[in-house]
Amino acid sequence: MKDIDGWKSVLTDQDRAKKYREYVTGWEKKIGSLLEWKLPEAGKIKSSEGILASVPFAVKDNIAVEGFKLTCGSKILEYVKAPYTATGVANLQKTGALVMGKANLDEFGMGSSTDNSALQKTNNPYDTSRVAGGSSGGSAAAVAAGIVPFALGTDTGGSVRQPAGFCGVYGLKPTYGVVSRYGLTAYASSLEVCGVCARTVDTTRTVFHAIRGMDGMDQTTIDYDPVSPEVKTVGVLKVEEGSLSEEVAASYRVSKDRLNKLGYAVKEIEIPAMEYVVPAYYTIATAEASANLARFNGMRYGLSPIFAESPDDLMRYSRNMGFGEEVKTRILLGTFVLRSGFQDQYYVRAQKIRTLIRQELDEIFTDCDVIMLPVFPTAPFHHGQSELTSFQQKQADVYTCLANMTGSPGLAVPSTLEKGLPVGVQFMAPPCGEERLFTVAEALEKEFPAPRPAGYSEEWRA
Amino acid sequence: MSDTMVNDKYETFVGLEIHIHLLTESKMFCGCKANYGDEPNTNVCPVCLGYPGVLPTVNQKAMKMGYTVARALNCRLSRKTYFERKNYFYPDMPKNYQISQFQEPVGVEGFMEFEYNDEIKKIRIHDVHLEEDAGKMIHAGDMSLQDFNRAGYPLLEIVTEPDLKSGEETEAFLRAFRRMVRYLGVCDGNMDEGSMKCDANISINTPGAGLGTKVELKNMNSPRFVRRGLQYEAQRQAKALDEGVKLIQETRLWNENRDITESMRTKEMANDYRYFPEPDMPPFCPDDSFMADVEKEQVELPLARKHKIMRKYGISSEQAEFIHDEKVNADYFEQVMALGADAQAVYTWLSSDVQKELNLLNMTLTESPLSPERFSELLKLMDDGKISGKIAKQVLIDVFEEDRDPSAIVEEKGLSQISDPQAIGAVIEKVMAANEEVVKAIREGEQKQKGFLVGQIMKETGGRAAPALVQKILSEKLR
Ligand SMILES: [Zn+2]
Repeated sequence: MKDIDGWKSVLTDQDRAKKYREYVTGWEKKIGSLLEWKLPEAGKIKSSEGILASVPFAVKDNIAVEGFKLTCGSKILEYVKAPYTATGVANLQKTGALVMGKANLDEFGMGSSTDNSALQKTNNPYDTSRVAGGSSGGSAAAVAAGIVPFALGTDTGGSVRQPAGFCGVYGLKPTYGVVSRYGLTAYASSLEVCGVCARTVDTTRTVFHAIRGMDGMDQTTIDYDPVSPEVKTVGVLKVEEGSLSEEVAASYRVSKDRLNKLGYAVKEIEIPAMEYVVPAYYTIATAEASANLARFNGMRYGLSPIFAESPDDLMRYSRNMGFGEEVKTRILLGTFVLRSGFQDQYYVRAQKIRTLIRQELDEIFTDCDVIMLPVFPTAPFHHGQSELTSFQQKQADVYTCLANMTGSPGLAVPSTLEKGLPVGVQFMAPPCGEERLFTVAEALEKEFPAPRPAGYSEEWRA
Repeated sequence: MSDTMVNDKYETFVGLEIHIHLLTESKMFCGCKANYGDEPNTNVCPVCLGYPGVLPTVNQKAMKMGYTVARALNCRLSRKTYFERKNYFYPDMPKNYQISQFQEPVGVEGFMEFEYNDEIKKIRIHDVHLEEDAGKMIHAGDMSLQDFNRAGYPLLEIVTEPDLKSGEETEAFLRAFRRMVRYLGVCDGNMDEGSMKCDANISINTPGAGLGTKVELKNMNSPRFVRRGLQYEAQRQAKALDEGVKLIQETRLWNENRDITESMRTKEMANDYRYFPEPDMPPFCPDDSFMADVEKEQVELPLARKHKIMRKYGISSEQAEFIHDEKVNADYFEQVMALGADAQAVYTWLSSDVQKELNLLNMTLTESPLSPERFSELLKLMDDGKISGKIAKQVLIDVFEEDRDPSAIVEEKGLSQISDPQAIGAVIEKVMAANEEVVKAIREGEQKQKGFLVGQIMKETGGRAAPALVQKILSEKLR
């Protein structure tokens, strides 16, 4: 029996539903992964024939689901209800799956810890003093704790893969354009995509195929034209001494050894343009963010003062009260790089770097079927900025934002537990090469399946 | 205030930014009805309200209209056009950026010809680009309300080079431009309803010295106000230069109540729009079939039409001006002419009685019951002497009221002209008998009274007696 099938009766069977509610409540007290959750009453669920019939899942709270709020982890949208449902979610609902809650995140997806959520703190299920990663920290933590078999997240620069790595689950960032962005609150439109956090490779694959598809509401969606799923050669990124923490470096070696053991041809690779990927990424991301977040002005919805002298004042108060520090910083950065007279120096140059990186990766994929690289340079860190400052956290996006810059798919795979904390490893494939990622991940899953935090239980399931 | 006064000493340069609302069913980037006159906030959806997570999808019809106008304006058409975000904060702009075009608009480097003072003028077009409109603020006492029906409405902006030389010439250009977009069927051109808007930039300088300090002029809601605003501004600038005052680059508003322009903002306060390519929509690359469709949308443009009508039918420039003003009227005119009619008669009727009827019933020629066939028939009845001009006017009214053919009306109501001398003679005798006093007076030399008898005769025949015959026979009988 597939792991996912065990979830089909947790809402429909009265007895299991009761245990499920207790299980979720218990974990939520510890980790706070969900901003909002509600289990449909057993009697009210229509029996469904779909492949995910009655399976509960969580959705990152920057993705619209009618009937739920759409806070984006921000004060400015704290009480905003979604007036429609995102295409990816609607596609999943067609398979019978049921949204049970909205997952916490760094405000508007900006961060790597979920500490930037203005509404709630989310803890790592393996150690509540540590972060779950971000920005889809709530989604990854909920899956790791066994609250849901999978959750949707969004990945702009690593926001699905990094928390998946921190929580010891699978995290897929699909090829850009393969999954509709309609309903995903835009942070950096040209970089981001809806992704999947799941407990098994099989579930990841099932959910990926359920959510993808061309969408009339998103003109950037593309036809999914898969490349061959076969994997023979794995390019392993050469990582400079000292750029990874001791634990992550050790874990990386373990994964590499496993590839050898499994019989893959392993080839060491280098990506010279990687040196520029973070500055170029943040230039593009913040430029787009400065426009994308301009709509939140307190005029039509969201936080606004009761009275203002002028529309300008109303906008100023709303944004000042409603946006957190990290969001303000990125809006200012983006406004700065787009100033007239400075575009060539920043935005245009960043786009050139993007093209360069794409070319380097195209080259690599001519003789590597997939490449392996770290997810994040450290294991899950403690809350706050004592271990990694906000700036260091941005620099640490280097391994993940690569896939966003090129549009390629990336998958975070559980690698090891180091001192009781999960460490992941990442695989990237050429565009529409998701099946290659699943091929490798499935082989590795047999060596090391997703770990279980203390308190994890499946007993209440079928 | 005349234009020449300024022109004698200074050269004037006027450029325009014309916005037209495209006549599409739906908005530019969502499926909402493009009908901003409806009950406030009824034609809105998450997309045009700028809700989190929504994405724009381009209106193909608006895209085609954009290319159609650019083609009619002789522009170089883009084979890969794309949208950009124009960033600025405006309370009724839902996303706080406008999706517009900048680097690669649908068309660039075109020109438009128009007639001014019997001369053909050529104005260069800088570019033609597509964008979306904002909503509308309604101020009610202490409150400001917003109506987003207009938000996301498809707009086409046409930017000219500063080739216009005076307010008067600009007014003539605008009227010609309005006529052109109406010919193309892409905009109704109503400036008073806001479906066509025009901002101008104007500078003056001593002849030969090139452009002067540019002033942007806004808030001119009719071609007449555009003329007056520009005339005022040219005078103001001339006076400043005469007095040695340095002009500043600024934006000024036309105040139609005070007939002056007033400073709104100077360049230092101008926005930095921070344009960058819209990541939510891929570039649009028109294929050959799209371009062929654009070609199909092209019509004979007003200026060419006017001159053709003048040549072909031998009518004056003034008459052709009236006939070609609306494409449907020009079409109608040519249809009537094809059925065989006298151009002068057609013009005279169209410009007077027919126009009067249309105004009265508030309808256009094409929606009126007066088809080209019926109109031609009416003229033929008159030409053949079947009815008099006076009866024809009555028949015209009847055609409008009864929606029937003129010949049927004439026949059924017995309106055909009486041209039998014996029948007319009998009526004359009857009238003379009934007015013996008048007859006596005329015979004693009071010729003025003759008109009274003619009137009585026409009344007796219901206006149907052939007027020339009445005159002839009456004179004989009075002798
Ligand atoms: Zn709409």
